[in-house]
Amino acid sequence: MMIERTLIFMIFLVGFWAIIANKHIIKKIFGLNIINAAVVLLFILEGSRIGTQAPLLDMQVTNIVDPIPQALMLTAIVISVCVSALALALSVRLFKATGSFDIDVIQERLSHEQ
Amino acid sequence: MKKSNLFSSCKVLVTFFLIAFTLAPILLSSHPWPNEGRDYLFENASNETGASNSVSAIYLGYRAMDTLGETLVLLVSITGTMTILVGLVKKEKSDSPNTFLLTRDKRKSNQLRTHLLEVVSGKLGPIVLLFGFYVMLYGHISPGGGFQGGVILASGIVFLALGNQSEKETKLNNPIVLARIEGFSFLALILASTSGMLMGKGFFGNPLSHISANFIILLNIIIGLKVGTSIASMCIAMMGRSHDD
Amino acid sequence: MNSSNLMFTPIVLPLLGSALILMVKSFSSRKGRIIAEYMGSAIGLLLPLASLFVLYPVVREQGFLQQVVGSWDPSIGIMYRFDGLSFLMILLSQLISIPAWIYSRGRGPKENTFTALFLIQNASIAAISMCSDLFNLFVCLEVMGMTAYVLIASSKKNAAAFASFSYLLFSSTAMVFFLVGTYGLYRITGSLSYAGITTMIPEPNLMSSVCLVLITVSVLLRVAIMPLSFWLVPAHSKAPHAVSAMLSSVLLKIPLFSLVRILSLVSIGSDIGLVVSYAGAFTALFAVLLALSQKDAKQLLAYHSISQIGYITAAWGMALHAGVTSKTGAFLLSVAFFHALYHAMFKALLFLSVGTTTDYANQRNVYILRGANAQLRTSGEKVPITMLCYFVGALSITAIPPFNGFFSKTLLTYALKETMQYTLLTLAGVGTLASFIKLSRIYLPAKPTGQEETKPFPKSIHIALSVLALFCIAGGVFAPQVFNFIKELLASHPEQEQLSFKFFTSSNLLKVLYTSLGGIVLFILAVSKTGTKLLSLLKNLPRSFSDAFFGFAVSIAILVYVLL
Repeated sequence: MMIERTLIFMIFLVGFWAIIANKHIIKKIFGLNIINAAVVLLFILEGSRIGTQAPLLDMQVTNIVDPIPQALMLTAIVISVCVSALALALSVRLFKATGSFDIDVIQERLSHEQ
Repeated sequence: MKKSNLFSSCKVLVTFFLIAFTLAPILLSSHPWPNEGRDYLFENASNETGASNSVSAIYLGYRAMDTLGETLVLLVSITGTMTILVGLVKKEKSDSPNTFLLTRDKRKSNQLRTHLLEVVSGKLGPIVLLFGFYVMLYGHISPGGGFQGGVILASGIVFLALGNQSEKETKLNNPIVLARIEGFSFLALILASTSGMLMGKGFFGNPLSHISANFIILLNIIIGLKVGTSIASMCIAMMGRSHDD
Repeated sequence: MNSSNLMFTPIVLPLLGSALILMVKSFSSRKGRIIAEYMGSAIGLLLPLASLFVLYPVVREQGFLQQVVGSWDPSIGIMYRFDGLSFLMILLSQLISIPAWIYSRGRGPKENTFTALFLIQNASIAAISMCSDLFNLFVCLEVMGMTAYVLIASSKKNAAAFASFSYLLFSSTAMVFFLVGTYGLYRITGSLSYAGITTMIPEPNLMSSVCLVLITVSVLLRVAIMPLSFWLVPAHSKAPHAVSAMLSSVLLKIPLFSLVRILSLVSIGSDIGLVVSYAGAFTALFAVLLALSQKDAKQLLAYHSISQIGYITAAWGMALHAGVTSKTGAFLLSVAFFHALYHAMFKALLFLSVGTTTDYANQRNVYILRGANAQLRTSGEKVPITMLCYFVGALSITAIPPFNGFFSKTLLTYALKETMQYTLLTLAGVGTLASFIKLSRIYLPAKPTGQEETKPFPKSIHIALSVLALFCIAGGVFAPQVFNFIKELLASHPEQEQLSFKFFTSSNLLKVLYTSLGGIVLFILAVSKTGTKLLSLLKNLPRSFSDAFFGFAVSIAILVYVLL
């Protein structure tokens, strides 16, 4: 129980560390992906505690898991993929414009361009 | 310089620890998980929505507004990504001998790439398309549904585009055809969501609930087509072919 | 179609318009596309106004309309609620979208997907105004944000791509924290709708308070009060002008008022409101000082957006603190919305007019640019409408009667009398005047440098600017009526008395005089040698990307500490 939650918490912290401390843009985007993955895992894992069978209602199931977190996380996964796609496209454009992936270097070069 | 580096790394550490301490009680909590939702759905999902996959019943029935929002996010994101990428790809030279704009016999293979990719993916393309349609149409009974089937459809179309070996190519690789299917399906989604209003069932209500409860199949098909064609047109734009205005 | 179905039309109509545009775009020629765009925007921007008109009497007599989307059971479906606050928020967004769209026909982004994205943004704003469900709020905020990122990045400048990227990263991380908060609340209560959550929280405990704080701070990030405002200045200054106008006027305020629904139902909402109100007042003052030090015209306006949103948040916070259903609370909330509405009008006007001016003069630096009106005349503008509209906007924001800013700012500072916020906001008013004197210097006469242009000046710019200027003037002339209109929609006791506040008393007018004198003095100080040195110190404060998250963590920590 607790060990799984602790591991998910650590995955979350790893992703958050990547977003705030790392200077490389692509690694920041991957940090965002990791955080989203951690939250998705958390919802689905905890929702599965109250049952033992998959939430398909045709066979003689008696004890299904909670289907609501699974439905919510379908939406959340699609939204996170869309955000990552747009972020990656923007980073390609920034690379072509400034020649670097480091966020401080990009900020400096763009402010000199003005 | 060193002092500002020390200062900024202090800020990063403080941020990290503050967030870790704030989130620990929520992420590690062992409050018992509520089961009211699960019980309600166990009794009623299959009768009210006609789907035995209760996850489909939720995101296409009870919480269909979330799915509409998700489709809009996908639409906006793909539009934005395509606008950015097409602007970049056009600037590059499109006359390298390996580009996908040429057909197979005109492309030169080199030690980094052989023709294996095109041969295999071209043959697998229709099978993947069939699988995509299966996942889309059976989404209300088994795990699957509009989004999942749509993404598989998109990968099928990408296989066909990669495996194209002659001058003649299938209409599915044509960005104009994909854009038309996408436009149609978005309009169909909006009309389907408002049709319930006209029949007196409220927004996103099932207009045919006296005939059958299976509004979900229609929504699955529309969403699957929309998602599939938009992701496929983005991938085809990345390969260098775009819908020229 | 009965009226509870009509409440979904502000969401459906813009989506229908954008679907039509996207479909026609893939089929037909250029001419067909232009026709489709005009038709789509007529459906999406004008028809919702008609439906608002029809819904107004229903909201007045019934108070609110509530429906579950799809008519399912309320415990499992998504509840949508259309009340006075939703009416006002949708009205605000429609009133500003129409001039912004008209402006974009003349000068704005010429991409053929601009109108479709613009309409989807309007639909998402309407959905946020009405939803009463936590996860649906998440999805609709993401739709609104996604359209904002794409519209900002549609500018051809590379700095716009960076602005969009930093806004995206910051805002998406905050939305993950929103999801964590939703997880916590669902775990405790088993429900995602506001009504379900608030009936099932037994008493404020640690977990529910922390979850509500996470949700609040994530949404407040889009409102950009300090210390959460690092994304705003690049995003608003580098975006295309029509998009900047929409962002500053509408997208900053909608998340703020959507938080009212959930925070007014929980007991810790009043404490959160108090803290946020102080933060808002400090923001108002500090942002004005930063604005004084800017040299780029649009960045100056962006800092002013932060400052004015600080005013609005200060009143909003005190409204929550007093309780939205009580008499003072409803008054404060109406005052907050009153200023939000008027600010939207004059800020859109300022962004559009200053944007046009700097485009035609090819120069954005306010220290260098002079003689802008002559530049505009050589570019083909016969009547100096742009300069006149700029001055209407500048006089409004500095609260000179009879323009609308005077009325809303006076009422707001009166409502917050005898609190610390009052002093901070008054000082901020002085600073606003000083920096607008600095900005208005671009119209000082000087010789134009370009050739005489024979291209006609786009009429749509004039139409858009005149409509907004008319709103500002009409808002000033009819201010008491507008305020009573707002108050009746937001108060829960419709028989409250009319506004007995007199605007044109001698003390108010004296205050305007003192503020103006103080502003002129501050301006003279600011352009002197020591002033410029101090201000350039402020301007060059190192601001790296990770500071944004530091501010985020600090604000969460402060709120959690206050609540415990």
